[in-house]
Amino acid sequence: MTCDATVLVVDDDAALRQSLDSLLRSVGYAVASFGSTADLLAARRPAGPACLILDVRLPGTSGLQFQAEMAKAGIHLPIIFVTGHGDVPMSVAAMKAGAVEFLTKPFRDQDLLEAVHVALEKDRARQAAERGFRETNERVASLTAREMQVLELVAAGRLNKQVAAALGVSEVTVKAHRASVMSKLQANSLPDLVRIADRITAARRRT
Amino acid sequence: MVDDYPFLISTASPSQAHRKMAFVLVAILCLGLVATIPAAHTPLTGLSGLLPAYAAAALLLEALTAALLLALYSAQLSPAIMVLGSGYLFSALLIIPWALTFPDIFPRLGLDPQLQSAAFVAAFRRLGFPLFVLAYLALRDRPTSRDGSPPAARRMVGAAILIPAALVSLLSWLAIGLHGDLPTFMASPLVATSLWSYIPAAALVLYGVALVWLPLRRRTIIDLWLIVVLFAMMIETVLLGYVSAGVRLSLGWWAGRTYGLAASGIVLIVLFVEQVSLHDRLARSMIAERRARANRLTAMEALSASIAHEINQPLASIVTNADAGLRWLGRGASHADEVQAALQRIVAEGHRAGEVVRSIRSMFSSKTRETVPVAVNDIVAEAARRCSDELRLSRIVMDLDLGSSLPKVPADPVQLQQLVSNLIANAVDAMEDGPADHRILRITTRKIADGSVAVSVADTGCGIEPDLKPDIFKPFVSTKPDGMGMGLMFSRLVVEAHGGRLTMSDNDPRGTIFEFLLPAMAEIGSDRKEAGHDV
Repeated sequence: MTCDATVLVVDDDAALRQSLDSLLRSVGYAVASFGSTADLLAARRPAGPACLILDVRLPGTSGLQFQAEMAKAGIHLPIIFVTGHGDVPMSVAAMKAGAVEFLTKPFRDQDLLEAVHVALEKDRARQAAERGFRETNERVASLTAREMQVLELVAAGRLNKQVAAALGVSEVTVKAHRASVMSKLQANSLPDLVRIADRITAARRRT
Repeated sequence: MVDDYPFLISTASPSQAHRKMAFVLVAILCLGLVATIPAAHTPLTGLSGLLPAYAAAALLLEALTAALLLALYSAQLSPAIMVLGSGYLFSALLIIPWALTFPDIFPRLGLDPQLQSAAFVAAFRRLGFPLFVLAYLALRDRPTSRDGSPPAARRMVGAAILIPAALVSLLSWLAIGLHGDLPTFMASPLVATSLWSYIPAAALVLYGVALVWLPLRRRTIIDLWLIVVLFAMMIETVLLGYVSAGVRLSLGWWAGRTYGLAASGIVLIVLFVEQVSLHDRLARSMIAERRARANRLTAMEALSASIAHEINQPLASIVTNADAGLRWLGRGASHADEVQAALQRIVAEGHRAGEVVRSIRSMFSSKTRETVPVAVNDIVAEAARRCSDELRLSRIVMDLDLGSSLPKVPADPVQLQQLVSNLIANAVDAMEDGPADHRILRITTRKIADGSVAVSVADTGCGIEPDLKPDIFKPFVSTKPDGMGMGLMFSRLVVEAHGGRLTMSDNDPRGTIFEFLLPAMAEIGSDRKEAGHDV
C-alpha cells in the first residue's frame, strides 16, 4: 500500500470530512482533514507525495479562488474538486487551472480513489523531478572552479590533450580532474557526463 | 376603469406644462384675430393658386390625426376615441370635394362644378366635425369595452373608416349631382348670400356647447387639446363668416384658414410628441417589470441550488460512508469498529437529510404561515390588475369572470397572490409565440358543489407536449427554453399546503387550463392531511 502518501481534505461539512477520512484510510492512505483552507495553510505540509480534495463551496474563499491563490503562492498540490452542484463552466475553469478531477456529490468511490491515485502519482513524479534537480545542483556546487572548466570543455567534445592545452596544464592533471568530476557528479560514462552538463546549462539558462 | 391605462393620451391628465402651452396657443389665436380685423376685407385674389396647397395640408393633418386616434382606439378600445377619429377622417375627406368644386381652381377636371357645390360641402364640414366632437363627449365617460377581441376591434376600425368615407362620397355626389337644387349659399364665386350666415352661426353654437362640455368631469390630454382645436375653429369661423363678411379669398378669409391650419398642426405635433414620450415611459416601466421578474427567477434558482446543496451534502456523506464501510469489511473482521462508525454516521446523515426535507416542506406549509379568511376574487382581481400592462403589450385579451357570492377561504394572501401571478405568467409565456389575434387569457372563479372555490387560468397558447404532461408538476420539468421547471412545482406545493388541489387540462381548441380548488372556511382540517402525502 502507498503508505508514504497523504491525502488532504478540505470540506466545511464535518460529516462528509469524516466519511472521506474513513474511506481513504480504508484503502491505506494517511489522511489529514481540515474545515477550512486557512486551517490547511496553517498545518505543516506532509513530507511525502500529497494531494488535496477540495470542496468548491466553502465559507470565505471558494475552492476555485483557493486554487488560484495556491498557484500564485507557488504551492504545488494536485487538486480534486468535489461539489454539491457543479455546473459545466465551473468544472471547465477548475480543469483549465490544472485540477485533476471535478466530482459532483454524491460521487462513486471508484471515481474518487482513481482520481486520488492519479493525483498522488502526479505529485510523486513532481517531487522526484524536484529531488533529482536539487541533487544535481548540489553535486555541481561541490565542483571546484578548475573542475568546472574541465567539465565544460569535455562536454563540448574536446580531447584531454586539447583541454590540457587550453587550460595550460598537463594532460595527467586533466585526467585527474576529469575522474574527480565523474565521481562527484556520479556519472558512469562520458555520455552520462555530457547529459548532466546539458541539464546544468539548461537550468542556468532558465534562471 | 380608466385608471388602468395611465399612460395613454386619451386617459392621462394634462400636466401644468400642457395647460400653459394650450393657454399660450389660444392667446396667440385671439391676438391673430384682433390683428386681422382691420384689414380683413382686403381682397387677395391673386393667391387663389395657394388653395390646393392649403387643401392638401389640411387633408394631411386631419387624416394623420384620424390615424393616430384610430390607432389609439385599437389599443384602448374606447368608443369615444373611435368616434373622434371618425370625425377627423370625415372632415379630412370632405376637403377633397370642397377643393375640387371650388370655383376656378380645377377648371380642367371637367367636374362642371356649380356655384353652390363647394359651399354645400363646406357647410357639412363646418357643422359635421363639432357634431362628432359632441358624440365623443357623450361617449367619453362610458366605460371602455375591455372584452373586445382583436378581430372585433379591427372590424370597428374598419367601420370607423368606411362610414365617414361613405358619407363623404354621398355628399360629394349630392354636391356635384344636384345642380340647381342646392341651397343658395353663394351670390357669386367669392361672395356669400345671407343664407350662408346661418351656417357659421350654427357652427359657433355647436363649438360653444362642446367648449362648455369639454372641461366638465375629468379632463384628459386629448380633451385639453380638443379645447384648443375648437377654439381655433371658432376663430376661423368668426374670421371666415363675419370679419371677412363671407367674402372668399380676402385677407380675413386666408387668415382664418391659416390660423386653423397652424392650430391643428401644432395639436397634431403635440399629440405625436406626447404619444412617443408616453410610449417611452411605458417601455421603461416594462423593462423594469421584466427585470423584476428575472430577479424573482434568479432568486428561485438560488433557492433551488441551495436546496440541492443541502440535500446533496448528507447524501454524499451517506454514500461515502457506505463505500468506506464496505471497504473496511473487505479488509477483515479486525476493522469492525471502523464499520460500526461508518454505519452510525450513515444513520445520523439519513436523519439530517430528513430534517432538511422537513424544513423545506415547512416553508410551504400553511401551519407556519399566517392564514386568514381570504376573498379569492380580490386576490385574483389584484393579480390580474398587476399584469394588465404586460398583457396589453403582449396583445393578450383578458377575460375575467369572477363568480358571485364565493365563500372565503383560509389562506396566506401573499402566497395565494404569488400562485395566481405565477399561473398568469405561465399563460402569458405560453402565448408569446402564438398567432397574435387569438391570445385570450381567461380567468374564472366559481363555487363548486362541495363548497370549495375553484380558480382556473386558461390560455390559448402553445399547450404542453403530451410526453411532458405526466411530469409537468415535477421539479425541473419545463416547456420554456430557459425555464427552471420550479414554478408549477412550487404552485402545487402552495395549493396543497392550503388543503387544495391543482390540476392541468387542455384548453379547446388550443392552450392549457390550470385549475386549483381551495376548501372553504370550515372544511380545511380533514383535507389537509390527505394532501400531504405525495408532495
